[in-house]
Amino acid sequence: MTNAPAIETHGLVKSYGRVEAVRALNLCVEPNCITAFLGCNGAGKSTTIKMLLGMIAPSAGEGTVLGKRIGDPNESREARGKISYVAENKPLYGYMSVEQTIRFAGSFYRDWRDETAKELLYRYGLPLERKVRLLSKGMRTKLALLLAFARRPELLILDEPSEGLDPVGIEELLQTLVGQCAEGTTVFFSSHQIAEVERIADRVCILDKGRLMVDASLDHLRESYRRIDLVFPTTPCEPDFRMNGIESVRGAGCQLSVFASGNVEAVIERAHDLRATSIEVAPVGLRDIFLETVKEN
Amino acid sequence: MLWYKAWLETRTRFLVSLGFLVIILTFFVHHAESILPREPKASTYELMFFAHSYLAGLWMLCVILLGMGGLLRERAAGVSSFTLALPVSRARLAAVRITVGVMQSIALAIVPWAAILFVSAIAGRPFFVSQASFYVLLLVTGGMVYFALAILVSSIVDGEYTAPAVAYGAAILVGIICGSVSKLRPFLDLWRFITGDNHYNKTTHLLSGPIPWFGIFACLCVAALMFLASVRVIQRREF
Amino acid sequence: MFFKLNPATGQPLYLQLMQQIRHAAETGALRDGDQLPGIRTLAEELVVSPNTIAKAYSELEHEGLLELRQGSGAFLCVKRRTRSLADHVHGARRRIRELIERLRDDGLLDEEIRRAFEAELLHPTEIVRKP
Repeated sequence: MTNAPAIETHGLVKSYGRVEAVRALNLCVEPNCITAFLGCNGAGKSTTIKMLLGMIAPSAGEGTVLGKRIGDPNESREARGKISYVAENKPLYGYMSVEQTIRFAGSFYRDWRDETAKELLYRYGLPLERKVRLLSKGMRTKLALLLAFARRPELLILDEPSEGLDPVGIEELLQTLVGQCAEGTTVFFSSHQIAEVERIADRVCILDKGRLMVDASLDHLRESYRRIDLVFPTTPCEPDFRMNGIESVRGAGCQLSVFASGNVEAVIERAHDLRATSIEVAPVGLRDIFLETVKEN
Repeated sequence: MLWYKAWLETRTRFLVSLGFLVIILTFFVHHAESILPREPKASTYELMFFAHSYLAGLWMLCVILLGMGGLLRERAAGVSSFTLALPVSRARLAAVRITVGVMQSIALAIVPWAAILFVSAIAGRPFFVSQASFYVLLLVTGGMVYFALAILVSSIVDGEYTAPAVAYGAAILVGIICGSVSKLRPFLDLWRFITGDNHYNKTTHLLSGPIPWFGIFACLCVAALMFLASVRVIQRREF
Repeated sequence: MFFKLNPATGQPLYLQLMQQIRHAAETGALRDGDQLPGIRTLAEELVVSPNTIAKAYSELEHEGLLELRQGSGAFLCVKRRTRSLADHVHGARRRIRELIERLRDDGLLDEEIRRAFEAELLHPTEIVRKP
């Protein structure tokens, strides 16, 4: 098991005319981890993933996936042999039947596992003979996921995998991702479902307007981010609390709410110095970290 | 299984075209032969010349339709990311699609002619297999230019209906150019080449003369260049 | 094995798991020599990253509470020290119960009491209230 990053980019840029969809991206996805890729719509997540897979050429910068350069078509093709990718719209050929689709996809990969495919087919209840264009949205999603999970790839890239699934399906999906990671697959997925991400992700990357704002382990985020609610005898001065590690400060009358990614002790000390009457420190969930990060940008 | 995929994608178009060509041509030939006198045999031979002209025109319409599709069409349908995520090069994807199309185009020339020969033989007016082969050869080699044109257009032009419209438009343009050029240099007229007009002996009503290897080679070169160009275009495209 | 990991508490999940395993050992839910589920099994059951389970097991092995046997799994090693710890915990809970009753008598709501405990544990500083 190698310790080289599964995905690594240096200064990756993609511009369309004057619009920069991705700017100076320095991504580093560790192997054998579950990394979540968060961002609003249009933040550049799909563009980044497409650059990693060789579907789009970067405007500048470079990157490697599983050690293979993304800018070289041959190396990119080699890497794709070990990558399982499910795009956001779960693309499948409408004119193929479920069985034909499975046979087609399986024929390209050495890591394809027939028994797993059969098991998933049974578990998802997919009708073998039906044409894909006649499947319901939920079944199409399951088929697209089956094609990814009936393999043992080195890297699994999923773009909004839970879209179109009911809660039971989502739970199964998360369990499958966890199982894949346990077998040594690196999982890299983007999602709007922050609750899911919080449960299974080891690391989180937050992309906003093409820029990587946060790239940290979820444990580190849990331990460092705090919301500190302060009450003062008189209206406090917000700039007093603008220090290193403070993401945002909001005031309302005598109250101040400080959102900090670190340096919490300094905030408390300052609050003491300014004679705060109440200091409360509370943990911050990933949703709030995400919302504050994109708001501040 | 790329070959299988290319076959599935074009199967309906191919089989419908095949059925269409076979039915129209055999009906035409059968009906004409029931009217035409048996002697002189030259009248049958002349009929075959006309039948081939019709076949050539319809064949062209069909192969241009066969040339549609590919990654651009998949992108419009939202499935290009599935194909592009496969561990195959874009050149290989294009090459498989082109090869399947070429084989189908050849079949669309051979089978209707075989049907014509069959219908004629039954009617007691057997036609020479060598002549039929000559016609097929001219159609397939000269006509490959049109198929290659369709492939090139489908690599450049987006749109389920725009692409075939542009392809047919381009084919018409080629026809017009050939027509105007033919006044100066008749051998440059692609249409005359395909229909066998260049070799048609007005006395015997049969194709005669040596096989135009140079013309065949030139047409195939032009087609090959267009195939290569379409591969290059797809390689550089962003999806 | 009934473990429940809460992603919203501000405490890394592996620490929560470690605490819950220790707690199970203290209360006797897990006994000396009991086998804990494999990393993959537990990860799928709790729907958390296997790295979380692996880290918790690894840290507990460092502490001496778990023994990781290659190929077999994770086994509990409850030492005498842990047993007396269980007594300590028992006593602590009694004292906490009394404290909570006193705070309730003072007029504090349960939610306020919980937040105060959490705040102190997360960040042991003074919480000054208006007199």
